[in-house]
Amino acid sequence: MSNAHDNHDHDVEPTSYPDGELYGVLAEYDTPGELIDAARKVRDAGYTEFDCYSPFPVHGIDEAMGIKRTILPLIVFGGGATGLLGGLFLQWWMNAYNWPWNIAGKPSWSIPANVPIMFEATILFSVFASFFGMWILNKLPQVWHPFFRADRFAKVTDDAFILGIEAKDKRFEHQATVKLLKDAGALAVEDVHLEGDPARRNMPKWITAFIVASTAFALIPFAIAAKARNSHSSSPHIHIFPDMDFQPKYKSDVAMDLFPDGRANRGEINGTIARGSLNADDTYYRGIENNAWTTGFPKQLEINDATMKRGQNRFNIYCAPCHGFDGQGHGTVAQRVLASGGSAFLPANLVGAGGSAVMMPNGQLFNTISNGFNTMLGYANQIPHADRWAIVLYVRALQRSQHATIEDVPPEQRGSLR
Amino acid sequence: MSTLQKTLHPDEKIKAGKIGQTMSKAGIGLAVVFLGISIILTLVGSADTSHGHESKWARFFHAYVIGWSYIFTLSLGMLWIIILHYLVRGRWLTAVRRIAEAMTGAFPIIFIAGLGFIIPLLAGYKDLYYWAHPDAHNHELNHHLLHKLGWLSPTFFALRYVIYGIGFSALAAYFAKKSRQQDESGDPKISETLRIASAPAMILFALLTCMVAFDIAMSIAPKWFSTIYGVAFWGSGCVGSFAALALLVLAIQRSGRLTHSINAEHYHDIGKWMFAFTFFWAYTAFSQFMLQWYGNMPEETHWYKYRLFGEWQWVSIAILVGYWAFPFVFLLSRWTKRIVPALVFFAVWQLVFHWLDLYWNIMPSYDWGVVYHEGARIVSGPLTGNPDLHHVGFSPVDITVWIGLVGLWAAGVGMSLKGNLIPVKDPTLPLSLAHEVQ
Repeated sequence: MSNAHDNHDHDVEPTSYPDGELYGVLAEYDTPGELIDAARKVRDAGYTEFDCYSPFPVHGIDEAMGIKRTILPLIVFGGGATGLLGGLFLQWWMNAYNWPWNIAGKPSWSIPANVPIMFEATILFSVFASFFGMWILNKLPQVWHPFFRADRFAKVTDDAFILGIEAKDKRFEHQATVKLLKDAGALAVEDVHLEGDPARRNMPKWITAFIVASTAFALIPFAIAAKARNSHSSSPHIHIFPDMDFQPKYKSDVAMDLFPDGRANRGEINGTIARGSLNADDTYYRGIENNAWTTGFPKQLEINDATMKRGQNRFNIYCAPCHGFDGQGHGTVAQRVLASGGSAFLPANLVGAGGSAVMMPNGQLFNTISNGFNTMLGYANQIPHADRWAIVLYVRALQRSQHATIEDVPPEQRGSLR
Repeated sequence: MSTLQKTLHPDEKIKAGKIGQTMSKAGIGLAVVFLGISIILTLVGSADTSHGHESKWARFFHAYVIGWSYIFTLSLGMLWIIILHYLVRGRWLTAVRRIAEAMTGAFPIIFIAGLGFIIPLLAGYKDLYYWAHPDAHNHELNHHLLHKLGWLSPTFFALRYVIYGIGFSALAAYFAKKSRQQDESGDPKISETLRIASAPAMILFALLTCMVAFDIAMSIAPKWFSTIYGVAFWGSGCVGSFAALALLVLAIQRSGRLTHSINAEHYHDIGKWMFAFTFFWAYTAFSQFMLQWYGNMPEETHWYKYRLFGEWQWVSIAILVGYWAFPFVFLLSRWTKRIVPALVFFAVWQLVFHWLDLYWNIMPSYDWGVVYHEGARIVSGPLTGNPDLHHVGFSPVDITVWIGLVGLWAAGVGMSLKGNLIPVKDPTLPLSLAHEVQ
């Protein structure tokens, strides 16, 4: 740093400051190896208040300087354990204790589901502990050090290997210390003094002021959010994306002036039928034949083993929860109604002798599946027509199986019955 | 301490000498005795028809697949670290790389050993892989398996097995051979050639490893599927592989060789990899479990159902605690990896649990279901029926086959332990010798 440059920047202040008391000595070495050797000699001489400075990490320097292993791993372990338990507690508090919420009947508290969050929290807290722990152990951030006053010291960020001993060390004796460093092969040894003016030794006030001010400034958004949460306002929301909040379209069942009926919904046009919605066959689609419930099956239905199996499959999915797998009305829903003390409408017994479901013609049974009966809702939306007919077929088979006689068993298989 | 590079110690014994032969002989002895015992035990035993197996060899072959997967993964992890070493221009491994190369030199023996179950499969043996059973073709029972039977047919399976054998043996031989060429010529360009080769080799390695895991291990339960299976298989394998490396390096040092070159720093790094894969395996195994558990699809969860309920739950808990929690917590510390007896304890521990992990992956599928359909007896394969019917059913053959196959593996490694035990002219050797873990 040249004096001319200094003058240009601060022409009011003096070009150099008087030195204060001795802070320490710096010794420059040529190679990392020499630095390590010198560090070992200094350590062996009993010094403790010294440090080594180099442009890059030098392997083996910790051992040469006699530095104890860092306790950082323990701090990181503590951080990780905190994250693990904190993640577990967070989920227990939110999901199982403070606001349990039934999602698809899954338990609100189950360890495997919590593992990913526990894992992430462990990593997060370990990294925080490692990062901030390292800063704290290294006494960072440190913006100024008395050794910075020596011009030579700037070279440690480039190509110098420097060992500095502080004068406060118990073993420090100026002459002897300098000789020790020189004997260890130093290229040069230099004294470093504190600032002559004690007032200039501390960080300038404006830096402190800036840090305080910028921290306060950074809190403003949080303050605004906190205020908004704890106050009332009659002014409308701020719309950051108005074209997303107000889209040029009509949603269903809203008013619209364009059409005479004032509705945005447009119904089917009179005299038209949408593709695939004709459903002209009364027997197949409604179970009606000659203005009465059909007693047979529509011609579209192939009556065979596969249809029967399909009917069984659909029955077990859609009907069995209430009517039971045997059709007697003891499905799990019915059991639950009874268990919880209800009794008003229990599912019908589809197979009881002389019961309504047994007496109904096929068409009426089909109609009941389609449109419901009493508290049973229609299943037209869930079950296609062909499957509804397959269910009718299967219900007929169930009814017959519950009141079967020996005549129903094929003669060649009667022998296998006991 | 302070130097960045070191030369080989002048008194260092770097020649393998008779150590490889000794190891081979011991391995072959182990293999003959223990595989012999296994065969005798099987011959005097009887068929386990209650589990759908007509052949009395079913247990033997299931144990054989477990043992084969075990010795295969022991070498697999070393091939991976060698390729990675070149790919990232690693340094620390160089001092022990020749030993790792010897472990990958066992691949030809491993794949010849595998013929022990591949040839019976080709000859029509149906009590090992359910997809090779005629009843697997039953439409009513196995409609979700039929479309896989083109891939899982004995002939195509055997063909792929040959490709895997050639692939792994060739990859291992290439890296080992070039490394030995460098011992002669000292040409640093060989390192560069291997670095360039390592990138495609890594891709090939990953593909082959996944395929082996899917074919050999996952297809034991052919109705089940998991895309991460290959990664978990490899991760678990690397735990065992680094554990085996630590023990082998120690054995070689105990014989008076490489005593100056390999020190706590190298053990520390081997231990670090073992630790890393202990967690990596747990991470992938849990990923596989949690997605299937949460998704709750029967075609996926049934594989876990038999492991988490009934007798197998105790094996599952043993693996969670013994293969992950206990070694993870203790291997976190720097000292368990640097103090050799502690590292040896965990290496042996993890080698046992790596076997248990493979056992847990494969053996629950030994219990096959049997159904009666229209009067006919149909074998419905693994993982059908009630989990309470699935027994651990431990058999001495499970252990003896494993030890026998480890003997074969040791013989294969011993055959490759010859010449220089350290890559004397590798340009990174001085760095590796001066290696220091901060």
